[in-house]
Amino acid sequence: MNDSQFRAEVRGWLTSALASAEFACLAGKGGTGRAHEFVAERMAWERRLGADGWIGLGWPEADGGRGLPWHRQVIFHEEYARANAPGRVGHIGEQLVAPTLLMFGTAEQKARFLPGIAAGTELWCQGYSEPGAGSDLAGLRTRASVSDGEWHIDGQKIWTSLAHVADWCFLLARTTPGAERHHGLSCLLVPVRQPGIEIRPITQITGTAEFNEVFFDDARTAEENVAGEVGDGWRVALGMLGVERGVSNLGQLIGFQREFSSVLDMARGNGSIGDPDIAARVTDAWIGLQVLRFTTEDALGGGDAAGGVVTGGVASNITKLMWTTWHQRLGELAVDVAGQDATLAGPDYGLTDTQRLFLFARAETIFGGSNEIQRNIVAERGLGLPRG
Amino acid sequence: MDTPDQAALREAVRDFCLKHGGPGAWDRLTGELGLTGLAVPECYGGAGAGLAEVAVAVEETGRVLLPAPYLSTALAGAVLSGGDGASGVAGGEFLPGIASGALRAAFVFGFGSQVTASGGRLTGVARHVLDGAEADLFVVRAGDTLFAVRAADTVVTPSPTLDQTRSQATVAFRDAPAQVVGCAAERAEDLLRVMLAVESAGAAAHCLDVTVGYLKTRAQFGRPIGAFQALRHRCADLAVEVTSARATAYAAVRAASPASPAELAVLAPLAKRYCVDVFWHSAAEMIQLHGGIGFTWEHEAHRYLKRAKTSQLLHGTPAELRRLVGQRAGLC
Repeated sequence: MNDSQFRAEVRGWLTSALASAEFACLAGKGGTGRAHEFVAERMAWERRLGADGWIGLGWPEADGGRGLPWHRQVIFHEEYARANAPGRVGHIGEQLVAPTLLMFGTAEQKARFLPGIAAGTELWCQGYSEPGAGSDLAGLRTRASVSDGEWHIDGQKIWTSLAHVADWCFLLARTTPGAERHHGLSCLLVPVRQPGIEIRPITQITGTAEFNEVFFDDARTAEENVAGEVGDGWRVALGMLGVERGVSNLGQLIGFQREFSSVLDMARGNGSIGDPDIAARVTDAWIGLQVLRFTTEDALGGGDAAGGVVTGGVASNITKLMWTTWHQRLGELAVDVAGQDATLAGPDYGLTDTQRLFLFARAETIFGGSNEIQRNIVAERGLGLPRG
Repeated sequence: MDTPDQAALREAVRDFCLKHGGPGAWDRLTGELGLTGLAVPECYGGAGAGLAEVAVAVEETGRVLLPAPYLSTALAGAVLSGGDGASGVAGGEFLPGIASGALRAAFVFGFGSQVTASGGRLTGVARHVLDGAEADLFVVRAGDTLFAVRAADTVVTPSPTLDQTRSQATVAFRDAPAQVVGCAAERAEDLLRVMLAVESAGAAAHCLDVTVGYLKTRAQFGRPIGAFQALRHRCADLAVEVTSARATAYAAVRAASPASPAELAVLAPLAKRYCVDVFWHSAAEMIQLHGGIGFTWEHEAHRYLKRAKTSQLLHGTPAELRRLVGQRAGLC
């Protein structure tokens, strides 16, 4: 099968699956800023993806994947975005936990956890940030110790996406008492639904909730549920942050193009495109999107080396700075195009897509490593500037 | 991103620019390296390569602001060859000279020029002709047609320039004999914008490179100033801009293949606007982050600032190019 045949296969499957009675309601749902929508249906969608072999495309075949090269994965994500398919609830398991287990996990762990991820039946969340450890992740204080063959976990995580639907949490905790900073940490695999774990949603500026606080009060997991060596959690956690190769980024750009088009349509519809300032900003947004696309394609192709100046594998940091900033500007443009209507909310604080984009984009420059942290990484690893 | 041949070419040009980047560079640039003939077919003494190879050389010569009419001459080689491959009407007469370096070329386009054609002769005055002072050959837009005119058949008046690394001239045509060039004028103008984008991407990378090097060694308050976050973050932002400018410039180069005229029409003004703006920002930051030394005549920073502003103001200002992108992309 060549690439275009593969693309046709993906497109055909998505078209028919999204036309089915069960999933027709999901088009465009659950994406950016709307993770609260149709959660049960999206969990069923995840199982459908898994049943038909669309999860784990890049994993080795021996581990239950399809062993596809990254450009085929890009094709899948592009078609997924083009089909306006729903926001995933299984992506943390598929794109972060599974690659980490493939890199650091034991044979038993792979056999235990990969099939549930591949089938879409076991969902994951990621417990990294804490109230006192955001940008400074190494300052985390959640602690765990072994007794009677089990880890006992106490502490608190925050900004945990999908904790309320997840079955498992990939948890970074301090397992060596008295150790500091990046020493004495371990990555634990913890079942979420148990008496020792309490989950409280965080209502965000959109009025909805898609992140949670997670409280651990003598929560338990089996002693063998550690990814990598005990005490080696920092390396494993950083490996996890590094595995995301950006195969979904080009798909994301298709969603951005769709959002840009709706802003343009709105500007034409209400005549604001006739305002030279709005026209200039619309054109700048379009130019910015093309620049983002070229840079993302280059990053995927490993093309940042020939320029010579910026090295050190910081392409994903560079594209994160770019897409978050671009998207935020688009949200600002969108409400300015909407004009006075954008100052009203619906009943129960119901928001338009425009308002949701405008508000949620404020999160994007903060989560996943704030843009200030990204700049530090680019400065240190990409440019070789000394640490402050 | 480079093919192996392009990587070898890049290394050779970069090495050359480091060692011989002075005013006497032209003979070696054309003789030893044959750079002006990169896009000229082999039957005319060129290398028979294409615009992608010209772009590599333009980026590298742009990095050091090589004071020679390289960009315009090498691009003229491509344009007179019909863009890529097939020879244009005027090609055969001029291409061997371009390939050997005997003929230096410059482009005369719309902005600031009023040149009209009648019966195979051109009349009018063009100002701000980049690389015009030393040109032997002008590639001139009159209406939608492109012409080749020998400098000997015109009156060339060099102008002192803000950017002393690239000449400008006012060129007067009075019934000057002209030959039609087999390349659409709009395409040629877009190709010039693409090459200015590539050159700017290279020069911007150099500005960042030199600035980062300085921040690593310059110490204040007992530490290298590159350790201060206020400066590091500005360099990181420049790194984002420089990386994306390069990606954009080469996307425009790829669109320059004759197979994608609509894409070139959009990406040429887009890339020129974006890359030159990045260059301008990089040059301005280069001066600020160097402090007082960056304001001196001896330091190279001012040459980059002046080149950036010159490139920004000629062949389409940022505002003009934005309007052009908006129109050509069907936005507004």
